[in-house]
Amino acid sequence: MLFNDWLKDDSKIVLFDGGFGTELLRRGILEPGKVPDMLNIENPDTIVEIHKSYYNAGSNMCHTNTFGSTPLNLRRHNLEERIEEIIEKALDNIQKACPPGSLVVGDIGPTGKFRPPVGTASSEEWHSSFATQTKLLEKGVDLFHIETISDLEEMLSAVRAVKKVSNKPIIASITYKKAKRGFFTIMGDPLEKCIHTLENENVDVIGTNCTLGSGDMLDLVKQAIDMTDIPISVKPNAGQPRLEGTKTHYDQPIEEFVRDIQEMINFGVKIVGGCCGTTPETISEIRKIIDLI
Amino acid sequence: MLLSQEQIFKDMMDSIVNLDEETAIDLASKAIKDNMNLIDVIEKGYAIGIQKVGELWEEGEFFLPELMRGAQIMQNCLDLLIPHLQKGSEEVSRGKVVIATIEGDIHSIGKTIVGTMLRAYGYEVHDLGADVPAEKIIDAAIEKDADIIGVSALLTTTMFGQKKIIEILKERNLLERFKVILGGAPVTRSWVNECNADGFAENAIDAVKLVKSMLGK
Repeated sequence: MLFNDWLKDDSKIVLFDGGFGTELLRRGILEPGKVPDMLNIENPDTIVEIHKSYYNAGSNMCHTNTFGSTPLNLRRHNLEERIEEIIEKALDNIQKACPPGSLVVGDIGPTGKFRPPVGTASSEEWHSSFATQTKLLEKGVDLFHIETISDLEEMLSAVRAVKKVSNKPIIASITYKKAKRGFFTIMGDPLEKCIHTLENENVDVIGTNCTLGSGDMLDLVKQAIDMTDIPISVKPNAGQPRLEGTKTHYDQPIEEFVRDIQEMINFGVKIVGGCCGTTPETISEIRKIIDLI
Repeated sequence: MLLSQEQIFKDMMDSIVNLDEETAIDLASKAIKDNMNLIDVIEKGYAIGIQKVGELWEEGEFFLPELMRGAQIMQNCLDLLIPHLQKGSEEVSRGKVVIATIEGDIHSIGKTIVGTMLRAYGYEVHDLGADVPAEKIIDAAIEKDADIIGVSALLTTTMFGQKKIIEILKERNLLERFKVILGGAPVTRSWVNECNADGFAENAIDAVKLVKSMLGK
């Protein structure tokens, strides 16, 4: 399997795509309160176009537009009954864009429901929601990326649900915030605990994405790299968002972002890409530095 | 040996910081039985505790579960104490706040945390939930005779609804009647200025400080 070959090849740095939601905003096709995943059905041409722009920029693998396609998340938008149609169309869209030799990553985001005392979600509820999404994605993807998860418990439910349904590789990415004492999830799980827990679950790649800009994520990588031998994946934000009029801007210069990515690669990161605010231009600049390695 | 009042207040504070609900409730029950001044019990004991929980969260020592648990224990103590407040005590509610997440936005967690913290600090909070139209928020504020309207938006695509609140208040000549505060990940001070809102808070503890400073108590 291609992805496993990439992981075994020490000289290979794998390039992900960049931000998807922020690309939809940039193109002005995401109306207030709209679930981006519905655009698989309502605006498939633009979705295919965004996927193509990332593959053309040099991404080895791109995410399906299914970040919010879990029954739990769709239920809050009264769209749960459309989950099959949404995921079916998401797979169609990305398959139209994916060139030979590149891969399709099944994107699995958080359910949006927290466990007590913050919310009312249970592990069983999470597990069943992630399992449903995985079953629907499984036939059209090469691997899974569980991302932007801010609770280790929810991540465990997701990893176990994917493993129950599929044998395909898993990248498990947690979102951290920087506190005085180090990097933690908002639920209080420290970086080291997250890494060791994910190691014990035998995920294929341990990752982190979103919230942190590239500078802070570089600091995180410096700590994480000594904590595990499992390959590491990073997808930082392009700095912090700033709103001007009706538009959101990410001001970090691409050169600075790419310089931080370069340094993360030097530290031993295996998979790189971008989260909110990164664009096909960002990915194309990262491609250039990877090709020079 | 009888414990000094100061020691009892400190035990109350510690029970909140230690997230020890059993002790917190026991101490509240005992305070009622011993006919203590319950306003002092709340203000010199429990309220100091929840304030410390907030500080620990801001410092990165506590996380969301501890913050929420602390606020819930505080709320349970208040629910027990308030019906027993001595006659002639000043009104314990510091003010009324109507909060909601704006129409089109279903993100409720941040708003719920803000509501829980405000309640824990003794404000009367009416949480209207998520995806609430601007008109409905204003109608509820009138009905509840609120002092403050708090509007949350997590998405850059829905935060424009926050501006709509101010516009409707202006149209209905109600701008002077309520203070409007905004919250949510994409909200910044410049956005608040653009909306002509009265203030914004970056997190739940900031929201408490903001409401306190606006109501002067």
